[in-house]
Amino acid sequence: MSEKPISRLQEILTKGEFAVTAECGPPRGANPGIVRKKGEMLNGYVDAVNVTDNQTAIVRMSSIAACAHLLHMGLEPVMQLVVRDRNRIALQSDIMGAYSLGIRNILCLSGDHQSFGSQPDALNVFDIDSMNLIRTVQTMRDDGKDMSGFELNDPPRMFIGAAANPFADPFEYRVIRLAKKIDAGADFIQTQCIYNMDRFKEWIKMAREEGLTEKVYILGGVTPLKSAGMAKFMNNKVAGMDVPDALIKRMAGVPKDKAVEEGLKICQETIAELRDIKGVHGVHIMAIEWEDIVGKIVKEAGLTPRP
Amino acid sequence: MTENFKPKITLFHCINAFGDADELALNDKDAFEIQTVKMACSSMVKDVFLLRAFEAGADGVIVMVCPEGQCRYIEGNIRAKKRVAWVQNLLDEIGLDGRRLFLNNMASGDNAAVNQAMDNVLKNLAEVGPNPAV
Amino acid sequence: MIVGEQKSIAEIKAIIAPYKKILIMGCGTCVKTCFAGGEDEVAVLASALRLACKKDGKDIEIEEFTVERQCENEFIQEGAPAIARNEGVLSLACGAGVQAVARRFANTPVLPGVNTTFIGVLEKQGVFTEECSGCGNCGLAVFGGICPVTRCAKKLLNGPCGGSQNGKCEVNPETDCAWQLIIDRLKTLGQMDNLRIYVAPKNWQTSLSGGPRKMVREDHMI
Repeated sequence: MSEKPISRLQEILTKGEFAVTAECGPPRGANPGIVRKKGEMLNGYVDAVNVTDNQTAIVRMSSIAACAHLLHMGLEPVMQLVVRDRNRIALQSDIMGAYSLGIRNILCLSGDHQSFGSQPDALNVFDIDSMNLIRTVQTMRDDGKDMSGFELNDPPRMFIGAAANPFADPFEYRVIRLAKKIDAGADFIQTQCIYNMDRFKEWIKMAREEGLTEKVYILGGVTPLKSAGMAKFMNNKVAGMDVPDALIKRMAGVPKDKAVEEGLKICQETIAELRDIKGVHGVHIMAIEWEDIVGKIVKEAGLTPRP
Repeated sequence: MTENFKPKITLFHCINAFGDADELALNDKDAFEIQTVKMACSSMVKDVFLLRAFEAGADGVIVMVCPEGQCRYIEGNIRAKKRVAWVQNLLDEIGLDGRRLFLNNMASGDNAAVNQAMDNVLKNLAEVGPNPAV
Repeated sequence: MIVGEQKSIAEIKAIIAPYKKILIMGCGTCVKTCFAGGEDEVAVLASALRLACKKDGKDIEIEEFTVERQCENEFIQEGAPAIARNEGVLSLACGAGVQAVARRFANTPVLPGVNTTFIGVLEKQGVFTEECSGCGNCGLAVFGGICPVTRCAKKLLNGPCGGSQNGKCEVNPETDCAWQLIIDRLKTLGQMDNLRIYVAPKNWQTSLSGGPRKMVREDHMI
């Protein structure tokens, strides 16, 4: 990897600062104004913004386009790229296109199955998996070659991210998987949102014991709860989520008009704990369709101004 | 619904439930016409035989088997139950109405139960009417 | 074996609507085993269609004939006289059989009565499961004898996605996560290190993606 940081996010992390990233979901339409509005809400509170790629397999404006709109506003995007919809030809093409537009961070993902989305009749792709994608982006950056071994004129050099889910099964395998992603080329990891702190700590401990926390920057994911109903829904209906009963009870134990406040309190507690864990280098705030709360969360966590 | 609808019924029965249809002390024998088919075990009721009974002009088909747990061949009546359910579905798909096909579990010699079952059959057949594929 | 399911009565009625004399042609191999198109199924379908057509006041003559396999000419030809007597053939064979018959009797419409679904096994009585997608490049040795190309909804080769929970796939809570199965099997075999091996992108040229395949054995040709 080159000495000069590839992206602002990489710079923050290598300097040892506690990084803050958030998420921006592109609109279900072609209006860039919506993207800009979300960008304005996040501007100044985050080091980089993840732009989702047809998340939950619901058709939205493309991640690469939305990233470009955010770039124009002076924000640093993290382009999320799933392998569900594009084959290796399209993926490599998009990586080069993204870099040419100024995008410097990429998060490599499998992608939610199309049966969850707005077009379940679609044929999925999965030509390569997320592990292959990580390796591909690394090869393009470090060897200047594409998957066929062709030497690219001006290869794209991305800061490479991957996702990790300490709450999915099988538990003992999750650290093996983390090691494999690091081996494949991941520079940073963003985890699934944390509600079960005990399980997260166990996972980080296992990762630390394998020396993995020295090799990759881990950002802990958080999503503020709005209600007990939301907590229950996430636990029961969203794959790979673990919301402990104690937390659901806590949310249910406050009057409905105080639920949001309680959820934000929990969020602050989570962030405070993350800052104390050795091996965690930042927080990734996923406030889906609630981007305007991010600023408040970052401020109250004492993480403003951003360096 | 024609007033003088006298349903044609084909009765498939397991010989362990009762040996001969004449043994059945059926009341009101003038209300219907009946033909019987004996089987060594109720599981012998195959889908195609039930359908052919309807092709031959039956308005209703009854399958009489031993009570569950009392099948001489252990699960013969369970197989019969599943096969009858399958054909009931098929009859719905064809448009003949699955209510024309009945499965009844009969303890040998229980005449009251037999007649109760028959009443139920006649009531249902009165509702669905004669076989439309005749 | 190849697994398939008979089409609905409604769909079949629509398919055979233009014909007054049809042959329902069964196949005694794969579709017989999965209860879609063997001799017994032909008999039931014929009876059901006769009833359905009679009810609709539609005239139809239905002949029934079943051959050992519709994917081999030697057996297909046994059906030739029956095919010649009818206006159309409703074949209950798998898609391969339907096509094999169709091209040998090009002047007679040969129609499908079965939806062919997958290559699978009879896992237990009444239950058929998909096992192989015919990728043409078998990697079962690495995966502990469980195929992630077929049994993982995302064809992942390097481990499970984040949606695997309690050993089940995010797509269907009744479907086992193939990767959970692989991990458990490799544990049993003492081959957990396989999980650390980076599996490179698959070469799909040997699969259907490269076009319909053909295999020729010169040593078996005269």
